[in-house]
This record gives sequence, structure tokens and C-alpha cells, in this order.
Amino acid sequence: MGKSVLKPLPNKIRRAEIPDDNISRTVSDSVFKKFFLEVSCITTFTVRFFKEFIKPPYEINELMKQSFLIGYRSLPLVAITGFIIGLVLTIQSRPTLVKFGAVSLLPAMVAVSIIREIGPAITALIFAGKVGSGIGAELASMNVSEQIDAMQVSGTNPFKYLVVTRVLSATLMLPVLVVFADAIGLVGSYVGINLKGNVSAYLFFSQIFQSLEFKDLLPAFIKTFFFGFAIGIIGSYKGYYSNKGTEGVGKAANSAVVLASLTVFLIDLIAVQITSLFQY
Amino acid sequence: MTANTNLTKTDDDTPSGCAVVEMRHLKKSFGNNEVLRDINLVINKGENLVVLGKSGTGKSVLIKCIVGLVEIDGGKLIILGQDVSGLTENELIEIHKKIGFLFQSGALYDSMSVRENLEFPLRRQLHLMSKEKMGLLVKEALQDVGLDESIDMKPSELSGGMRKRLGLARTLILRPEIMLYDEPTTGLDPITSKEISSLILEVQKKYNTSSIIITHDIECARLTANRIIVIKDGICAAEGSYADLEKSDDVWVRSFFE
Repeated sequence: MGKSVLKPLPNKIRRAEIPDDNISRTVSDSVFKKFFLEVSCITTFTVRFFKEFIKPPYEINELMKQSFLIGYRSLPLVAITGFIIGLVLTIQSRPTLVKFGAVSLLPAMVAVSIIREIGPAITALIFAGKVGSGIGAELASMNVSEQIDAMQVSGTNPFKYLVVTRVLSATLMLPVLVVFADAIGLVGSYVGINLKGNVSAYLFFSQIFQSLEFKDLLPAFIKTFFFGFAIGIIGSYKGYYSNKGTEGVGKAANSAVVLASLTVFLIDLIAVQITSLFQY
Repeated sequence: MTANTNLTKTDDDTPSGCAVVEMRHLKKSFGNNEVLRDINLVINKGENLVVLGKSGTGKSVLIKCIVGLVEIDGGKLIILGQDVSGLTENELIEIHKKIGFLFQSGALYDSMSVRENLEFPLRRQLHLMSKEKMGLLVKEALQDVGLDESIDMKPSELSGGMRKRLGLARTLILRPEIMLYDEPTTGLDPITSKEISSLILEVQKKYNTSSIIITHDIECARLTANRIIVIKDGICAAEGSYADLEKSDDVWVRSFFE
């Protein structure tokens, strides 16, 4: 190894510039600081959402428009994904169940998997990618082109008009999309079963309904409202407070997807823990 | 009213002397950066005031303070005779309704058509719902800026000059008493810039508005200004008519006009 070209700092300077800390501690401090600052900002943003949500006037027309754009326009993507998930899950599970002589349980197993976990989680992730990034990019580009300022100047509360409507639409539309994706996923599973067997639709679906219980449906449905809310809030927050410039738009869209997806998993983890408290 | 490039100011345009906006020792900082240190300024009824200054000297911040987009740190801001620091949120909204703001980029709503861009402030501020009445106002505003042919187009289909005009129409449709222009001719060719400058003058004449025009375009300043102020280091460094400042003893001030 060659001789280092860096001369050691005199003790006096080293003490003055790097007090008791080492560099890694300083870096981790700043990461923690950033993390807690971000959490605090999102919390403040969420509190503001509830304040503005309660206060009249209510932007019903914009809410309907956003629900159409967020919900209806996501249907094809959610349908295709749901169908493929149902189909693939059935095809992949079949050999294992055959090995244990439990192939007759395939419809029930797939249905419980889709409705309790895979349907809500996968749909929420797709929703985060499509809607979360869309909201982030749209609000960020409005911010960059001064449209949000223009709205404020023209006597409109931009937070209420842009953020509250989008967050509400995301909260209300995701559960609908999840129910739709679950149904399409079961159809995909039925197709998957019939690729290597011959099961009637009546038998397939009656077995599914016999195996499903209320405790499978309700927690899975309730958590989708939280998923939708988190995706809406994070997308809106990232867009509304984006940096100026085109770089800010890209960053807002990207960070909205990453943070929303991570939050979906965190909520899912918490939801599973809470559900297990009541079920076992 | 359409853009008449031959329109110039006359001595009759001299303001009446009644203040619509008054700033006393106005201060605004961003962190350690003291952008506005001590701004003292009066804008009279019917007057076009042009603000000159280097980039980053706080010219845009100055007009954003007036419209409430930026909160002031100190001093007094009096708009239409009312000190804004003592006003409630609703009173502030009422004051801001009387102020129009033309953004540098036009700030048009991309997802809406030209018609919807103009209907938006009517619905939000005047709570107008009658399609007939809105249609008439939209038509008149578009005629004012010579854009009546583009009513069903999207902002993305308009040229830079047309976007500025549409931005102006959207502001004028609410008949503001005070107009704030943030670099209205930036990024436009000399002919379109002259058209926009002429429109600013026509707006002043037709609606008797008082305007603050932030610009780097000295031709725009020459055409539109009743009075000019030059901002330097957060204070009003010079004030006067175009002719006065053009012959200023201060080399720095004179350099704007060369």
C-alpha cells in the first residue's frame, strides 16, 4: 500500500471541527433528523387535511371528478392484475396440494389468500404506483407552473380543492377496486383450476363461499380504506410541497410511490397484528 | 379591445393621487437572506408603477406580499385603505378579490380548456352559476385580449403570447381594481411584447386599474410606466419617471436604460 497523501490534522483543529463525534454518527444523526422531520411534516399535513375536510364549503363536483379519474380509470389495470394473480396462484399451489392429497382444498385456499391478503396488498401497490405517483406528479407540476398560487389568488383554497378531494377519492375508491380485483382474481383462479381439471363454476364458487368467514372479509376490507388514505396523503404531500423545477416533479412522483408502497406494507403489518388479537 | 401596438401613454394618464397600495418599512426575509429590508412605496389610483431591479432583488416577492402569497415579516401594508395586518381571513379574501395577478408563466390550468380557465374564477369568486351570464363575460374577456377564436382550445395548444393574454383575460374577468404583473413580457418576441405592453395600457384606460409591473424589459417599462422605482439591496434605490431615471446621475440606475 502506498503512503497516504493525507496529513493528519493537528489535534487542536480536530477537536474544534469534529467535537466528540465521528463522521458516521453525524451522518446517521442527519438521516434520523430528516426522517423525523418528514414524519412531523406528514403528520401536520394530515391534521390539516382533517381540519379542511370538516370545514365547508364541500367540493362535491371535484370529488366526483377525482373519484371517476382515480377509480374508474384504474379498473382495467386492476382487473388484469387481479386475473393474473388468481390464475398464477392457483397454478403454483396445485402441485403442492396434489403432493399432500389436498387438491380439493385448492379453491378455498386460493380464495382465502386472495381475499385476506394478496388482493388488498397487490391492488394497493398497483394503486400506489398509478394513483400515488399520478397525484404527486400532477400537484408538483401545478406547483412548478404556479397554478396552485393562481388558485389561491383567485379566491380558492387550493388545499381543499386539490388535496382533500384527491385524498378522499383515493380512500373511497381503493376498497371498491380491491373488491373488484378480488372477484376477478377468483375468476382467474377458476380458469387456472380448469386448465388441469374439470370443476364446475357452481362447485368452485360454493366451495369458496363455504370456506370464507366474516372475519376473513371484514378486516381485509377495512384495511383498504387505510391503504387508500395513506396513498392519497403521501401522493398529495409529495406533490404539494415539491421543489420548484422539473426535477421536483420527477422526485415528487418517485418518492410518492416509494413512500406510499412502504406505508402500505407497514399498515398491513399493523392490521395483521390487530386482526390476530381478535381472531386467536 | 384588442392589442394595439401603436398605443402610447398621454399626459392624461397621470394618476389622480389617491393611494390604493401603501407600503411602510416593509420587510421580508427568507432564512438569513433579507430580501426586502425597508420598502416604502405608494401606488396611486389609476397609476402604472414599474418596478426594476436585478434578478433576485425581491421584485416578485414584493407583489406576492400584496396578494398574500408571501407573508411579510415587518412594516405596514395598506391595501385600499385597510391595514392588512389587522384583517380577519374573510376580510383578507375580500381584499384579495379586488387584486388581479398575472403570473410570469401565465399559470393556466392545463387540465381545463380556455373557456373553463375563465369560468373557474367566476364560479369560485363570484359564485356565478348561470351559463349564459358566464358565457357573456368569457366572450367579453377573450375579445378584450383578442383571443375569441381560441375559446375551446387547451392551454397547451396556445403560443407563449396567447398564454400570457389568456392569463390576463382570466385576471380581468373579475374586474380587479389593482393589477399585478410579474414579468409580463418575459420570453416573448419584441412584437408580442409590444402587444402585451399595449394591452396593459388598454386595461388601465378601460378599467381604470392601478398596476404594478415587474419587468426587465425596458421597452415595456417605457411604454407602460407612469412612474418607475428601482430596487437595490432590499430598498427603493431610485424613483421617478422614465425620462428622469434615463438621465439619472447614478451610473447603476442609468445602466438599466442603456
